[in-house]
Amino acid sequence: MSHLHIPDGVLPILLWAPGLGLALLLLVLSTLVVRGASRQQVAYQGALGALMLAVMAVEVPLGPLEYHLSLLGPVGVLLGPAATFQVVFVVNAVLALVGHGGLTVVGLNALVLGAGGVLARPVYRLLGRRFGAPVSMSGAAVVAQAVSGALWLVVVGLGLRSGAAGAARVGLFAGVAFPMWIIGILIESVVAFGVARFLARVRPDLLPGGARPVEEER
Amino acid sequence: MINTLAQIDYVASSGTTPWHRASALTKLLFASGLVLLAVFAPSLRLLGGLYAVVWALVLTARLPWRLTLAASGYPLAFTLLFLLARWDGTAGTPLRLLLRPLTASLAAVWLVGTTPYPDLFAPLSRVLPRSVGDGLFLTYRALFELMGRISGLWRALRLRGGASGTARRRLTLAGEGFATIVLYGFDRSQRVYDIMLLRGHSGRICGCHHYAEWSRADLLVAAAGLVVTAGAVFLWKLP
Repeated sequence: MSHLHIPDGVLPILLWAPGLGLALLLLVLSTLVVRGASRQQVAYQGALGALMLAVMAVEVPLGPLEYHLSLLGPVGVLLGPAATFQVVFVVNAVLALVGHGGLTVVGLNALVLGAGGVLARPVYRLLGRRFGAPVSMSGAAVVAQAVSGALWLVVVGLGLRSGAAGAARVGLFAGVAFPMWIIGILIESVVAFGVARFLARVRPDLLPGGARPVEEER
Repeated sequence: MINTLAQIDYVASSGTTPWHRASALTKLLFASGLVLLAVFAPSLRLLGGLYAVVWALVLTARLPWRLTLAASGYPLAFTLLFLLARWDGTAGTPLRLLLRPLTASLAAVWLVGTTPYPDLFAPLSRVLPRSVGDGLFLTYRALFELMGRISGLWRALRLRGGASGTARRRLTLAGEGFATIVLYGFDRSQRVYDIMLLRGHSGRICGCHHYAEWSRADLLVAAAGLVVTAGAVFLWKLP
């Protein structure tokens, strides 16, 4: 749900302009953090960004609805905060160029998705002290998805209120969106569990250190 | 979404209209102007005029209409949410809410449908931090390859029983499948890096200046820009 991109012209400038400014500022700061990264790391970021875009096209059937994955948690864990924010910005920019999300709200969309993504690795490391990689990755995905989804709800809620929508209508929107948010968190966390379970067996060096070997969780 | 992107990519590279021949920078500036006008224009007549202009741009660029409808119609679902919430019984408010995102998304579709991605990303990569600019190229280059792999993976999962059982089992297996793509992405990044070195990578992807090579076709974009500017000046204060 957090990657249901906000189009141009529906949000007030007081929301999207500061969002764009803040996103650009964070982008510059993230560049300073990853300045020493190798060109191969940049290529890896590109590959994971492409993976995010590609999985967004995968439809997970949910009865009459379809859920589109984002893999925000796993990408956040694998790349770390600064690189994840860059990847999220690039993903949103590519999507905006094909009309999926607005060009003026690229920054806001990147902030919504990026806020969750940057938390993924710290949460993974924290959980990794106690749990194995799959559970830690799953927990990181829960936090990433929960934060992004909550921010999305806040942004859309603010947008609706600024348009003089009644409290009842905003409440109705929240009532519909909240269950979808929860379902999204559950789906992403189970998928993240699978991603980490496989990587922990085959290429544990790709996962940040701190998580116990996968065998301990069986 | 990816199919739409692939088709737009093909049309952008194979099109022969004057819009396709115009430089990326001119089109980028024009499309940005259209998007900003669509977002800020207070007049319904101006918004209607802008919507007509972007349709004229798309049709004269000979972009397939089905593809255009699919790509430009995406904001509709999200806009409907705002439309319902802000319903005030007048026709003006919903029309404004609809025309703004539709005009902006059509302008974006026209831009990407007439501009090959290296030319489109080149000016953007000049203003973005280097790693982000390079990320744009590398992400786009990897996208279609990874999408093909995910499509094959999804088929293999279904054929081998990965689509049966409980939701938890299906999603965990899907996650393991995506992890194979992560591994492939990692190996691919090493290959890409080697190729970049072999080709004499200078520290920035695409140092080309095609995006700012002017031609006669740019006069057409400039003329369209003048028409839109004049229209905006005349219609700005009208209801």
